[in-house]
Amino acid sequence: MPKTFHPKVLTANDLINGNSVFLTPEGWSDRIADAMTALTPDQASDLEALGSRGVDQNDVVGPYLVDVSLDSDAPVPLTRRERIRAAGRPSIAFIEAPKVGQAA
Amino acid sequence: MYRYDEFDHRFVAERTSEFRGQVQRRLEGSLTEDEFKPLRLMNGLYLQLHAYMLRVAIPYGTLNSRQMRMLAHIAETWDKGYGHFTTRQNIQFNWPKLKDVPDILDALASVEMHAIQTSGNCIRNTTSDPLSAVAPEEIEDPRVTAELIRQWSSLHPEFTFLGRKFKIAVTASDQDRVALKLHDIGVQIVQKDGRTGYRVLVGGGMGRTPMVAKELRGFLPREDLLPYLEASMRVYNLHGRRDNKYKARIKILVHEIEIDAFRDQVEAEFVQMDRSAVAAPSEEVDRIIAYFVPPTLPPQAEDNAAIARMRKVDPEFDAWMRRNIHIHKRPGYRAVTISLKPIGGVPGDATAEQMRAMADLAKSYANDELRVTHEQNIVLPHVAVGDLYQIYRGLAAIGLDAPNKGLVTDIIACPGLDYCGLATARSIPVAQAISTRLADRQEEIGPLQVKISGCINACGHHHVGHIGILGLDKAGTESYQITLGGDATETAALGERTGPGFGYDEVPVVVEKLVDTYLDKREAKETFLQTYRRVGMEPFKEALYAA
Repeated sequence: MPKTFHPKVLTANDLINGNSVFLTPEGWSDRIADAMTALTPDQASDLEALGSRGVDQNDVVGPYLVDVSLDSDAPVPLTRRERIRAAGRPSIAFIEAPKVGQAA
Repeated sequence: MYRYDEFDHRFVAERTSEFRGQVQRRLEGSLTEDEFKPLRLMNGLYLQLHAYMLRVAIPYGTLNSRQMRMLAHIAETWDKGYGHFTTRQNIQFNWPKLKDVPDILDALASVEMHAIQTSGNCIRNTTSDPLSAVAPEEIEDPRVTAELIRQWSSLHPEFTFLGRKFKIAVTASDQDRVALKLHDIGVQIVQKDGRTGYRVLVGGGMGRTPMVAKELRGFLPREDLLPYLEASMRVYNLHGRRDNKYKARIKILVHEIEIDAFRDQVEAEFVQMDRSAVAAPSEEVDRIIAYFVPPTLPPQAEDNAAIARMRKVDPEFDAWMRRNIHIHKRPGYRAVTISLKPIGGVPGDATAEQMRAMADLAKSYANDELRVTHEQNIVLPHVAVGDLYQIYRGLAAIGLDAPNKGLVTDIIACPGLDYCGLATARSIPVAQAISTRLADRQEEIGPLQVKISGCINACGHHHVGHIGILGLDKAGTESYQITLGGDATETAALGERTGPGFGYDEVPVVVEKLVDTYLDKREAKETFLQTYRRVGMEPFKEALYAA
C-alpha cells in the first residue's frame, strides 16, 4: 500500500542565532503560520531544493521537511517534537530575564 | 582551588582565538556546516531543537564566586537569563547566538573557564565528589587526582578522536556520591598496607546499554595512575569498535572480550610503555596539592544555641536543616546543599539572579567555594554552624530553600524534548508534575530518587533511579517505561523494568502508586530501595498492572 502523503513544510535552523525557521514565500521566518506548504511529493522536492539553496547562501543549517496538518488556520506539525520546535520555546514555563540594559 | 598556570592560560586563549576565527569563517561562508560542526563540538557548542547550546566545563564541579558571577553575567548578557546545571557537573546555556559565542568564551577565559572537551569523542570533564574536603570519611581531597587527570586528558593528542566520548569520575570515599560505577573509568582513592593508591574500575555507563563497572585493578600505586589510565585508553582506542557508534563505548569492549582479557591487555601495555614519560612529575603533583590545601577555618563551636532556637521557632528552617545539611570533617562546620529543585520547578535550572545570590553566599559564608553535584544541585562546602540561618534566609529570598535533598521531589531530569534535538519525549514537565503531586508527602516517603531521561541516551540517569523513567516515542506518542531498584551509589544496581510503558499524563499517578505500594510494604524505617530489595518487583507490578 502506498504511504499516505502528508502536507509538508520546510524547516531549518537559522545559521546566526540557531532559531528554528520555516521557508515562506518571502524567505525564512520563525512563524510556521507563514510557511509554504507542499501538497504533493513534487512540491516537497521543490521545497527541499529551495532549502539547499538556503544552505548554499549561508542562511540556514540542516533543512528538512516536517509533516503537518492543515486542519486549522496555520500548519500544525504532526509530531510533538515539531510542535515544540515550531513554538520556538519549550513547552514549560521558564524565567526569561531582561537583557542587560533593558527595562524589566 | 586550582588556579590556571601559564600553560592553561595559553591553551585556553589560543583555542578561544582559534574558534573566533572559525566562527567568523562559518558566518562568512568559507566553512560549510559539515566542516564547522566538528570544530564547534570540540568547543562545547551544539545545535539543539530551538537554538545553539553551549556547555561550559566546570572541572570536578568546583567554582568560586567570581566564576559563578561570570556564569550569571553570560546568562544575562548573551542568553535568556538562566542556565542549566547538568548531571556531569557542568552548566549549559540554551540560547546563545553563534556570533556571540567567541565573546562568551573570552568572558569564560577571563575567569579561568572554557567549554573545551564538553562534547565530542574525547575525555570529558572529570567529575568528583561534591563533598570533597568535607566528608569525614574521605581519605584525601579527590580533586587533586581529578585535576591531574584533567591536565593529562586536556588536548591529549592520542585521545582527541576516540571511538566515543569517555567519562571519568574520582572519589576518595567509600560512600559514592559520584556514580563511580557508572563511568567509563572510575577512580577510587583507597589505602592498603598503610599506602594510599587507587582502585580502578572500568566499563560502566548508562545510555542504551547500561552496565555497572568492573574492577580493573584493586590497588594501583599513586605514581602509576596516569600511565595506567593511558594504557587503558590505549587498549580501548586500539580495540574499541568504530563501526557502530552505539557499540563504541569502552563498556562494550570490556563486555565483549571480558574483564580478564581486557585487564591482561592493559597490564601488558602498562609494562611495556615508557611510564616515566606519562607519570606526573612530583613537583607538578605538589603544585596541584598546594591548591587544595584544606582551608583555614577558624574554630567554631559544634553546638550553637541560636541555631537550635531558630530550629524550634521556624519549622521550615528545621526541615531544611534535617535534609540539606551534611556533616563536616571540621567540628562546628557543615556543608549545605542548595536544592535546584523547587517544588514544580525545572530541575537544575538557576537564573542569573540566583547564581549571583549563591555566589554572594559562597563568598560571605563558604570560603568562596561552590560545588555542582551530579544530582543537579549546588553545595556550599565550608559553612560555620552559626551562619546556617543566614544562609537559609538568603536562599529563601531567591526561592532556593527547598528542604528536599534526596527526597522524591529532588528529581534528576535531562532537558528532554523541550530543548534537546535527540530527545524522544518530554522529561522536565514530567518531573514538575511528580514534584507537585508528591510534595506534601515527601517527608513521609523519605529518601527516594526519581530520575528521568527523555531518550535512550539516559542523560537523566534513569537506569540508576530508585524509580527510573524513560521517555520514548511510540508511533508518535510519548510513552514512559518505568524501572525500579536502580542505584548510583556504592551498592550500584541497574533498575528493572516494571512492564509496558505509560502515557505522559499517567506518569505522576504511576509514581504515586509505586510510592503507595512502598509505604504499604515498608517495615520500620526502610527506605524505598530497601523495601524494593526485600519484597521484589511483584507487589509494585501488581499495583501498576492488575486490573
